[in-house]
Amino acid sequence: MTGEEKELSEQESLRLIASMIHKAKGGFHETGTSAILWGSAVAIPGFISFAELKWNFYIGFDIWLLTLAAIIPQIFISIREGRRRKAVSHDESVMNAVWTTYGFSIMLLVIYINVMPSVSDQLLRADGVEWLEHNLTTGKTEHLKPYVVGQTSLFLLLYSMPTLVTGIARKFKPMLYGALLCYVLFFVSFFTSFTYDMLLMAVAGIFNWLIPGFILRKKYLKTKGTNV
Amino acid sequence: MFKDLDPILHSQLRLAVMSLLISVKEAEFTFIREKTNATAGNLSVQIQKLKDVGYIEVNKQFKDNYPQTTCKITPEGIQAFEAYVHALQQYLQVGKQ
Repeated sequence: MTGEEKELSEQESLRLIASMIHKAKGGFHETGTSAILWGSAVAIPGFISFAELKWNFYIGFDIWLLTLAAIIPQIFISIREGRRRKAVSHDESVMNAVWTTYGFSIMLLVIYINVMPSVSDQLLRADGVEWLEHNLTTGKTEHLKPYVVGQTSLFLLLYSMPTLVTGIARKFKPMLYGALLCYVLFFVSFFTSFTYDMLLMAVAGIFNWLIPGFILRKKYLKTKGTNV
Repeated sequence: MFKDLDPILHSQLRLAVMSLLISVKEAEFTFIREKTNATAGNLSVQIQKLKDVGYIEVNKQFKDNYPQTTCKITPEGIQAFEAYVHALQQYLQVGKQ
């Protein structure tokens, strides 16, 4: 499209519009890096926590801190991808909003789970009430600090939401199926103990993000290869 | 009654730029140049014309010590583009009859 401007016919104008819209759409490729990062940051702690609870050992620190630490590489990934990005699609800005909202929601859920026991305990005591735990084996009754029952179910429910939105909006079946599987795991978690809940979290991480992330990465590298 | 085709949009490169910008939230000058295969000089002139009529917004800033020009379609630009496409459709419908 260099040099002199030529007179366009109506058909040529429409063809040009269609071709440019198509070219603009073709300019966006997910690298899959973030999905691989978060898939690993949930799957690895999930498997390790399951092993710790199942076979009674402790690795010396809370492995779920790894999920928190994943925020640091994510910041670098976002900055690097932002620098490389020459255009921002409408679709992409909506997806960013969805994933940012999800990030905030997860953070708030973690805060809720950690703050709720102490606060509830104080509120109950202020009302002159307390939770008691009765051990059926020893017959002992002790004070029980309130806690969020079925925490894993809440996480699984939240994990599937942005993945399902992305899967539907981008017509990306691996994320769509991953999110649907996550809903199934959510139902399964009603009936499983905390030990097996950890295994469900790991499976969710693998199917929700890790596998779709590898598929996106493969597609991205293939496209990058053909563009060179 | 046919509407005249907007002369600002009825030009190959300007129409290509507007078609690209209607599909994205914003785009860098290099992205537009890559997709249109236009020369930097010609593209600058056409972008300036689109900016002058208020169809696009042009922001110039520095990114990693390099100048970066970002273009974004304005609500007036969207309206003009829609009117242009509508007028094209009218012409084509008459051509079919």
